[in-house]
Amino acid sequence: MSAAGDLRGAPRSLLGLGVLASGAPSLFGSRLTLRKSGKSGLRCRRTGERGGTIKRQHWRLALLAFVAFLLVLPALALDFPVLSGRVVDEANVLDPQTRAALADKLAALEAKTTDQLVVVTLKSLQGTSIEDFGVELGRHWRIGQKDKNNGVLLIVAPNERKVRIEVGYGVEGALTDAVSRLIIENAITPRFRAGDFASGITRGVDDIISVLSGDADEWKNRAARRPDTVSSTDSTRNDSIWPAIWFVLVVMCVVFICVMLAGALCEAILRLLAMLSLVGSRGSSGGFSGGGGSFGGGGASGRW
Amino acid sequence: MSYAPSVLRLARIPVVVVCLGLLLAGCGVNNIPSYDEAAKAKWSDVLNQYQRRADLIPNLVETVKGYAAQERQVLEEVTNARARATQVQLQIPPDVVNNPEAFKRFQEAQAQLTGALGRLLAVSERYPDLKSNQNFLALQSQLEGTENRIAVARRDYIEAVRQYNTELRTFPGIIWASTLYKNNKPMETFTVAEDVKTPPQVKF
Repeated sequence: MSAAGDLRGAPRSLLGLGVLASGAPSLFGSRLTLRKSGKSGLRCRRTGERGGTIKRQHWRLALLAFVAFLLVLPALALDFPVLSGRVVDEANVLDPQTRAALADKLAALEAKTTDQLVVVTLKSLQGTSIEDFGVELGRHWRIGQKDKNNGVLLIVAPNERKVRIEVGYGVEGALTDAVSRLIIENAITPRFRAGDFASGITRGVDDIISVLSGDADEWKNRAARRPDTVSSTDSTRNDSIWPAIWFVLVVMCVVFICVMLAGALCEAILRLLAMLSLVGSRGSSGGFSGGGGSFGGGGASGRW
Repeated sequence: MSYAPSVLRLARIPVVVVCLGLLLAGCGVNNIPSYDEAAKAKWSDVLNQYQRRADLIPNLVETVKGYAAQERQVLEEVTNARARATQVQLQIPPDVVNNPEAFKRFQEAQAQLTGALGRLLAVSERYPDLKSNQNFLALQSQLEGTENRIAVARRDYIEAVRQYNTELRTFPGIIWASTLYKNNKPMETFTVAEDVKTPPQVKF
């Protein structure tokens, strides 16, 4: 059978990789290819031309390359440090006393206002801008309460000599870009220039805390400032065609039920796998974790 | 005695309906409307951020004028670009996300404003008094923050549209797209990169 021969011709290492790393989709993919090549084999024998099979082989190669690309894709994404506590000192620029003192202050802030402030020092920005890294990291860690989005990150990248205050949606009203910039320019970068990371970070954290817990009025009308924008849309569907639609639907359901069940099952399995891998990558959080808040790019950056 | 089974049979109908509903939900019958709504919400956030930028510009122009009135050309360029962008945004049709032409117009107007704004900020670098003005510094940081928010909002929108368009064109979704949701069209996404700014011209 020419179909089997074609499949054997495909690079085996790629195929093996696909099957190994993500069972369901690539199995499905290869089954699809088999069926397709079976058809093409038939057609080829009937017409007696070889060009079609060669073209199809190219297609198969492209498909395999695509699957391989999908597998590599997660590796291209940013590699975030583990959220080990309120102070994540990946670059190792803080002494243990400072770290403990900062963590206490940050915990006190959350107890008072529910704002989550996290200090993170990074070994590397991994080639991206600190703004980009900040948003992605904040979203990855889900800093801030879910319904308030009141997370703040103080990010220090000593090797790139960059610092950023990343502000969650909900606190942009209090900790504005201009205020963040002032904190960076006045409290943080002068001390960083002198090489004193501990006092720069401590002063920055003090200022952010005083802004966040300072004004009660601001705090009260904060909720109204950034409601989650969900646009409403008018439905233009006609009600009278519903019976026909239902009939078609039921017929289709009978036809596709098995396929769809299999599809849903596949999806559920994949989702479970994805969740498991997420849990695995998160690791131990040391009693602290993000509350589910999100970020939209607010805040300010500086360099020294 | 013959009436008990008929009751049972009647009771079976709701069970079947519920099962069918669950099955349909499992097959992603709700995916298209929910992705649609998500993408539209992201789009309104993009608009929101562009509007915020437009609101900041008059203040910035006034502040720069106080120190660098001779930079008339750049100042006018920014003012005009802002007026054009605002006008385009006001005239925007409700179906802009499905309308390639309107989307392109919107995109180009905003890209022009981005370019003009970049030149204005580059020119400001030449005026030390302006650079040390507190008001200017505050405006500049707000503007930088807004540009960053625009970048984030655009990226989120692109991702939401990708998900929605993929759902419309791939297997389980394409069935619902061709039956239940015939009115749902693929959405437009950004093609002109916001970051590609014309380099500032330096004149002596």
